[in-house]
Amino acid sequence: MIKSPSPGVTVTRTGEQGAFGGELLTVNFGPHHPSTHGVLRLIVDLDGEQIKRVVPVIGYLHTGIEKQMEALRWQQGVVVTDRHDYLSPPINNLAYALAVERLMGVEVPPRAQVLRVIMSELTRLASHLVWMGTSGLELGAMSMLMYCFRERDTIMDMNEEISGFRMHTSYIRPGGVMADSTPRFLEMLDQFIRDMPGHIDEYEDLLTMNPIWRSRTIGIGRLTPEDAKVLGATGPMLRGSGVAWDLRKSIPYSGYENYDFEIAVSNDCDCYGRYLVRIKEMREAVKILRQALDKIPDGPVNVDDRKMLPPPREELETSMEAVIHHFKLFTEGYSVPPGDVYVAVESGRGENGCYIVSDGTHKPRRVKFRSASFVNLQALERMALNHMVADLIAIIGTADAVLGDVDR
Amino acid sequence: MIADDLVIEKGVTARDEWVTVPADRVRDALSTLKTDGYRLLVFLTCVDHLIDSSREFPGRYEIVYQLRDLEKPANIRVRAFIDGDPPRIDSVHDIFPPANWEERETYDMFGVVFAGHPGLTRILMPDDWVGHPLRRDYPVGGEVVEFSEEHEIWQTAPEEA
Repeated sequence: MIKSPSPGVTVTRTGEQGAFGGELLTVNFGPHHPSTHGVLRLIVDLDGEQIKRVVPVIGYLHTGIEKQMEALRWQQGVVVTDRHDYLSPPINNLAYALAVERLMGVEVPPRAQVLRVIMSELTRLASHLVWMGTSGLELGAMSMLMYCFRERDTIMDMNEEISGFRMHTSYIRPGGVMADSTPRFLEMLDQFIRDMPGHIDEYEDLLTMNPIWRSRTIGIGRLTPEDAKVLGATGPMLRGSGVAWDLRKSIPYSGYENYDFEIAVSNDCDCYGRYLVRIKEMREAVKILRQALDKIPDGPVNVDDRKMLPPPREELETSMEAVIHHFKLFTEGYSVPPGDVYVAVESGRGENGCYIVSDGTHKPRRVKFRSASFVNLQALERMALNHMVADLIAIIGTADAVLGDVDR
Repeated sequence: MIADDLVIEKGVTARDEWVTVPADRVRDALSTLKTDGYRLLVFLTCVDHLIDSSREFPGRYEIVYQLRDLEKPANIRVRAFIDGDPPRIDSVHDIFPPANWEERETYDMFGVVFAGHPGLTRILMPDDWVGHPLRRDYPVGGEVVEFSEEHEIWQTAPEEA
């Protein structure tokens, strides 16, 4: 175990002799550092400028989400799931909703499934845009942030149109989605799908052949396919190392088997490879969105189960039964049969899963979020070893850990 | 496949395959499954079954290992039940490297001691935290106000686990 300096102390002498005639220094990095994507603290042992050891210290953003879930009813928990990986709320909702539905044995109608796919892909785009904007900013491409956040704002506007919220949408819920899409949302989506490929070309013009970007990322943070698999990395971290594994293809959920898209893989195994994977994934996301919009069926967006979802407002005035169902749902909630289930979905960062245990009551007994960032961050030391300290920024950036997701 | 003497019970719940193994032989079971192709430890966690009357459980703490075979793809959930204060089970960090942090998290949240873990310290809660928050007998919202007199007494209380 490395003896950690307190966060206030920035540099400590270790007394160990380095390879360049100097002494190894322990340097504290973070937790409040703009390039740590939240509040990640790293204790780095440096020999000159070379990284010899990295110990991530996490927990600064721990909010006890799993404990809170145990105190909330099944339908209330959705609101909390938005907040752990705060860059991809609908995907977190989806994992939770699918888990609850699997335990209850219900299947949502086709229109709801397509709307779920649309929201997931929009979120994936938004999440990758934030990643590209901030990573570009850190590595000296200042204008990336402006371009990426422009398109992200369009996605936020669409979120607002469909759910009323820009970020924490809580749109996908057990039993379906919050509400049907509005005609304006579909128009906005259509326009977005037309514009987006051009915008992605724009980003590529700025970065793909940019000599500064290439020299900061190519060969940096190498992660071999074997290491990536052994360390349990998922998402762009795994695909950037040449392993074609995508939950949407391998274990399809929410009707992903009906879409025609490719798994984005890069054999570069470095930061640049992970960048290429994300660019490709954005193009594939636009493809999926186009197919979803073209084939979105008509029909209900929620399961027809009065024991699980509240009755429509107009029924409350005429039907006594509807009033009883409404009252029961909002005082007691519904109960889920005893058992446990694990459902994983592919988020922008990798495998985001939800493991729930029910004891048959109206509140979960245990909810565990398997977060991609938490596992991927463990590969940091392997990637950063023997690189320069400035490359650590690129490596943290392309690992794309969201600290809310790491600490939960 | 895992040897029959390792299997206490197996079944399928909500399309998820699971197997219960004896807690003292969890390392054998997991390394057998790893050679069978289940190379990815998806997650490792604990469930506290304190006063759960819905089913019969052989122990208070259930340690859950979710494994995946990336080639097939297939999933299996390995469960082991433990009791005691503190509850103890063997660490699997050398079989599945991602278990390192997951075990630290489980220790932090449930007080489960993983024997053989290289550095079993708190990971999410502060180092001087008292108690294990995800246990069922740890109250939600039961924290005292920081910097009050009560807080001082509570902070300096001896740690049990």
